[in-house]
Amino acid sequence: MFKKVLIANRGEIALRVIRACKELGIKTVAIHSEADALALHVRVADEKVCVGPAESALSYRNIPNVLSAAEITGVDAIHPGYGFLSENAHFAEVCESIGIKFIGPSSENIAMMGDKAKAREIVAMRGLPVTPGSPGELQSEEDALLAAQKIGFPVIIKASAGGGGRGMRVVNKAEDLGRAFQAAQAEAKSTFGNDGVYLERYFLEPRHIEVQILADNQGRVIHLGERDCSIQRRHQKLVEETPSPVVDDKLRREIGRVAVEAVKAAHYRNVGTVEFLLDKDRNFYFMEVNTRIQVEHPITEMVTGIDLIKEQIRLAAGHALSIRQQDVVLTGHSMECRINAEDPEKFTPSPGVITKYSPPGGFGVRVDSAMETGSTVVPYYDSMIAKLITHGRDRLECMARMRRALSECVIEGIKTTLPLHRRILDDPDFQKGHVSTTFLERFLG
Amino acid sequence: MSRRRSKAKTRRIVLPDTVNEPISEASLTGGSVRQIQELIDLLRHNNLTELEFERQGIRIRVRHELATKPFTTAVQESVPAPSQQPAHHAIAMTPVVEGATGFVTVTSPIVGTFYRSPSPDADPYVEEGDSVKKGQVLCIVEAMKLMNEIESEVDGRIVKILLESTKSVEYGQALFLIDPKTAS
Repeated sequence: MFKKVLIANRGEIALRVIRACKELGIKTVAIHSEADALALHVRVADEKVCVGPAESALSYRNIPNVLSAAEITGVDAIHPGYGFLSENAHFAEVCESIGIKFIGPSSENIAMMGDKAKAREIVAMRGLPVTPGSPGELQSEEDALLAAQKIGFPVIIKASAGGGGRGMRVVNKAEDLGRAFQAAQAEAKSTFGNDGVYLERYFLEPRHIEVQILADNQGRVIHLGERDCSIQRRHQKLVEETPSPVVDDKLRREIGRVAVEAVKAAHYRNVGTVEFLLDKDRNFYFMEVNTRIQVEHPITEMVTGIDLIKEQIRLAAGHALSIRQQDVVLTGHSMECRINAEDPEKFTPSPGVITKYSPPGGFGVRVDSAMETGSTVVPYYDSMIAKLITHGRDRLECMARMRRALSECVIEGIKTTLPLHRRILDDPDFQKGHVSTTFLERFLG
Repeated sequence: MSRRRSKAKTRRIVLPDTVNEPISEASLTGGSVRQIQELIDLLRHNNLTELEFERQGIRIRVRHELATKPFTTAVQESVPAPSQQPAHHAIAMTPVVEGATGFVTVTSPIVGTFYRSPSPDADPYVEEGDSVKKGQVLCIVEAMKLMNEIESEVDGRIVKILLESTKSVEYGQALFLIDPKTAS
């Protein structure tokens, strides 16, 4: 087992990893920017190293400084958290080359899954369901039309180098395709510097279903059930829950089997999440693999009783999986609300000093946050400041607890999305579990 | 005799006997550490935010920050004045004066290991008291086997070298104090 680990991250996830390390008897090194010198994650670690000024490119994502910090503190492993360097294949590779274990998949795993077209190809070749789409980039309007007619309208044209909802165009009829094709190419060129586009079937009211997997170095892979992350705004998740209200045991076994197979095909190691789209008829399609621990991992922990960060660290240290698939039991229901330091209606960032921070508590309530009264929310990083997680015997109790917890939660001095979460929990469609990825856009009007 | 500072409300505080023992050198010996601890206790006990004590060319300032920072202690060697004030027992409380000395602090731009000389058997790049020019190499900070030369941003005189070779440094860590007013 590792003796000392450096946590290459900040905020709530750094705190989460430090907590797991403490429980495993591992010494911890926190890195921080100058803006985070007084942050909670820095105070609870055994050692700390300032790695740069506020800007994350010069500090948390500054590979030479992060590696140098690892060298001078003599750590044997680095946990990258999520975001920052967690899916940087080059960083994982450099760690490997200097003999510091990167707590996550291998650099090859990250590189392969980071190429979304390649990942789909690998999965498709195994005969597993992928989102119907053009085989590669579209060379011309004619190409696009042929592909669209084969796949079936509506289709969505997407930028190959893209993401974040940019360089996308939905096309409902063949007559609109030419114009949409040109527009998508132009936007892709101006946003990503690359006008390559491809085509996929467009699902009208899809649900975002993702499966947590764990893989050890001997090739054993298990899944820990699915998470439904359909409540999103501009592709940013706001509320997640497990199990999904529309996934029954049979479907869960199916999706779980496909997720495990997809990951085995890629010789994947450590933790990962396989993302699927679920259409209205409950057909599911592979989208991509996220090669990191995810923000919403706590809801899986609540229903399985498994500490995912400790498992992740154990797997990285070369231990075999301690659980078999048949031992994985999902108990009850869990939800998470991501509380952001933003205006709850305009979503503009709201940095500043938290004059009062009073998180909720009680049975079935968990808060993952590095905030305290007097903490300063700085504008340089992601705006998420707390994750409010609840667990209940069933979805009704879980929601009742979440409503109760949201009502108790006090964060003053800055604006937060707490009011939005309270409204979501009061929504009849949400309460019935009738949501899709378009829910929030409609909800916000 | 008390030493007055301008603009400050001063309060006379009688020091315990142990503080009157001679302070040997700028480096912290066991005795000096005890004296500094006595000053810290005095500060706490009397609800002060800052305490400054000077004798025999050594000035000690102890400050209590109001935020959640720990006590900071600054030990400075003062330049001997032409007419020495006689040793005294009373000290004065002063308002916090930032950058009162006007020195420039050279900080590390990277994380790594500090070396005063280009190699183990070579002479250090600079010594205390040396004059330096802007762009002159002051030290090496080694990171991942790469030797990075750290240059001075100003002309001036090295007042203090703040750490020894082979010490680890973080981003922003203070390495040297340079007096820019006394460049030769």
